[in-house]
Amino acid sequence: MMRVDRRSTRFAVLLALGLTCSIAWAHEETGQAAGFLTGLVHPISGLDHVLAMVAVGLWGVVLGAPAIWVLPVAFPLVMAFGGLMGLLGFPLPGVEIGIALSAIVLGAMVLFEARPPLWVAALVVAFFAIFHGHAHGRELPEGTSALLYSLGFVIATGLLHGFGILLGVAHRWPIGRQFVRTGGVAIALGGIFFLWRAVT
Amino acid sequence: MLGALNSAPAHAHLVQTGFGAFYDGLAHVALTPADLLVVIALALLAGQRGTQAARWALFAFPAAWLAGGALGAWIPAEATLPLLTTLTFGIAGALVATDVKLRATVVGVFAIVAGLLHGYVNGATMAPGGAGALALAGAVTAVFCLLAIVSSQVTTLRAAWTRIAVRVAGSWIAAAGVLMLGWLARA
Amino acid sequence: MIRAGRFLLALVALLATLAPAPLPAHELQPGFLELREVGPGRFEVLWKQPLVGGARMQIAPIFPESCRQVGEVRTERVEIAWLSTTRIECAQGLAEKTIAIDGLDAYSTDVLVRVQHADGAVETLVAKPVQPAVTLRGANDAQRGLWAYLYLGIEHILLGLDHLLFVLGLLLIVRDRWTLVKTVTAFTVAHSITLAVATFGVAQVASAPLNAAIALSILFLGPEIVRTWRGQTSFTIRHPWVVAFVFGLLHGFGFASGLAALGLPQGEIPLALLLFNVGVEIGQLAFVLLVILLERSFRILQIHWPQIVERLPGYAVGTLGAFWTIQRVAILLRAVV
Repeated sequence: MMRVDRRSTRFAVLLALGLTCSIAWAHEETGQAAGFLTGLVHPISGLDHVLAMVAVGLWGVVLGAPAIWVLPVAFPLVMAFGGLMGLLGFPLPGVEIGIALSAIVLGAMVLFEARPPLWVAALVVAFFAIFHGHAHGRELPEGTSALLYSLGFVIATGLLHGFGILLGVAHRWPIGRQFVRTGGVAIALGGIFFLWRAVT
Repeated sequence: MLGALNSAPAHAHLVQTGFGAFYDGLAHVALTPADLLVVIALALLAGQRGTQAARWALFAFPAAWLAGGALGAWIPAEATLPLLTTLTFGIAGALVATDVKLRATVVGVFAIVAGLLHGYVNGATMAPGGAGALALAGAVTAVFCLLAIVSSQVTTLRAAWTRIAVRVAGSWIAAAGVLMLGWLARA
Repeated sequence: MIRAGRFLLALVALLATLAPAPLPAHELQPGFLELREVGPGRFEVLWKQPLVGGARMQIAPIFPESCRQVGEVRTERVEIAWLSTTRIECAQGLAEKTIAIDGLDAYSTDVLVRVQHADGAVETLVAKPVQPAVTLRGANDAQRGLWAYLYLGIEHILLGLDHLLFVLGLLLIVRDRWTLVKTVTAFTVAHSITLAVATFGVAQVASAPLNAAIALSILFLGPEIVRTWRGQTSFTIRHPWVVAFVFGLLHGFGFASGLAALGLPQGEIPLALLLFNVGVEIGQLAFVLLVILLERSFRILQIHWPQIVERLPGYAVGTLGAFWTIQRVAILLRAVV
């Protein structure tokens, strides 16, 4: 049966208005994902940080137990306190120089296979962790979730750390040991380059 | 006619999966970072402390969440209490990282406090979005399932490096919490 | 295989039954808006309003400002819906324009919006009560619209409590891992076969007897679960995959009626069917995985449920199966008489 029934069909050709709610919502979602990704990518964006973090992992392997597991557990926490200092506005002079110096020191430790007492090693690493957190912890892009950004930042740092430890597994074999020490040299040289760039 | 569209509630916190209220509540937990982190941190903590602690947490936490959520839906507050929720997952993460030998009952008490708090915020934020008992049931189901699966897996970990991996994960959660505290202080 | 603690699933099942929506008759009854570009900026409009309790669903499409209606609106009552046709002219075309469905937030259903552009490209979008507007993408990346069917497949299984309960019943009977794999595979293959057969129109099953039969398949599992509790055995318990296959054929027809209600367009049927089916499998596997992981967790944590709690999921399968069987047989009889 076919019939024309104009009034009851409510077949209206009207303005499409007032959809801002749903659109704003869609935006928030992408903002969250973007916050996590930005945090994740952030530590990788600066080569000086990458070098120093891989060095922490390598040195952990050189030091052996218990340092190899104390460092990955303690490092994120110390780094977060560095970030907290930055967020609360405590000034930390010479951040770039500090990071470059830590790359040099950590690289040298790997090269010479230095095995100082655990507390000395922890202090050296904590020094770097504070600078690292201070420099990177507070660069949040507009409109992104601070918590997800922080989480992404911490996870990326931890993964770089783990990458260093994985490389360091080669340390068990004689050839691998030379490889690890060469890595230390490369990191120290990179640190010198960044120090030169930071000073000039 | 268009008024209906304009007056649609601002879905600030209730996630819309399109699959109905139950799944919306489920997704809300999965997509609220502080909630997800506290569930994972507590699961790691409970698993780390053994099966008895895990059993305690598994029943105490969702029950407290349910009670808190009902309270939040009943007396909705504008506040999302970010400082307190950050503290709970941060402390849970720190306890995992330090591997403190807590007793099972202490884990249970912690689960009750954290569950009440996060459940309350959960209920209070979901209620204005039009979520009812079904959304809360979805949220509690998500919490229960995630807690059961993760904590039981952690109790089976024996190799030294896997125990370390759990502690590292706890340290990450705690670190994110510390940074978050900094953001909250600045805002 | 699933012995200890199935309490949670029963809880889910019970909560879902308490939901205000009429869950048992869970056939998707979405609206459908089809726009075919017949000339530059000119579109043939087909608008389907489903029936709610015998009355027409009070929803209407809202087109962009630059569009105007040309020609008559013709409306006719078909089997389960009202169909309206007309023609609109949009000065700026419809690419990147927004179409809203007015009144949709009062219902718990979707509206499928399908646009066929002049160059033959087709896009399919879903308007939902929580987001009653869709924005067309234009002709360039229109194929992405087909992903809507994947989403609809997942939605269909996650809200299809009867299908999930049947799968749960099977899981409660299955004793070991290998049987589990065989059973889930058999169910998947069987319902994929009938889903395809029905969608391509090779065979059709009337919806009332089909629903009754699906309900019966759930009820059938109840006594079998009780047999496993008593340590007895039966053909079903020894070969659950055979039962999964036979009843899977039925459930496939059920999925097909859901897909048919979405208004599948000619020409893109195979791909849409595939995506819908994949969506159903994703939802189903997620459910199976969740049940298995939970069961494993309860075993590891050595949780000993009281017997009544442990048997709750079994009772849920049997009771709801019986309830739906009675309800759907009553509907069937009413239709016959």
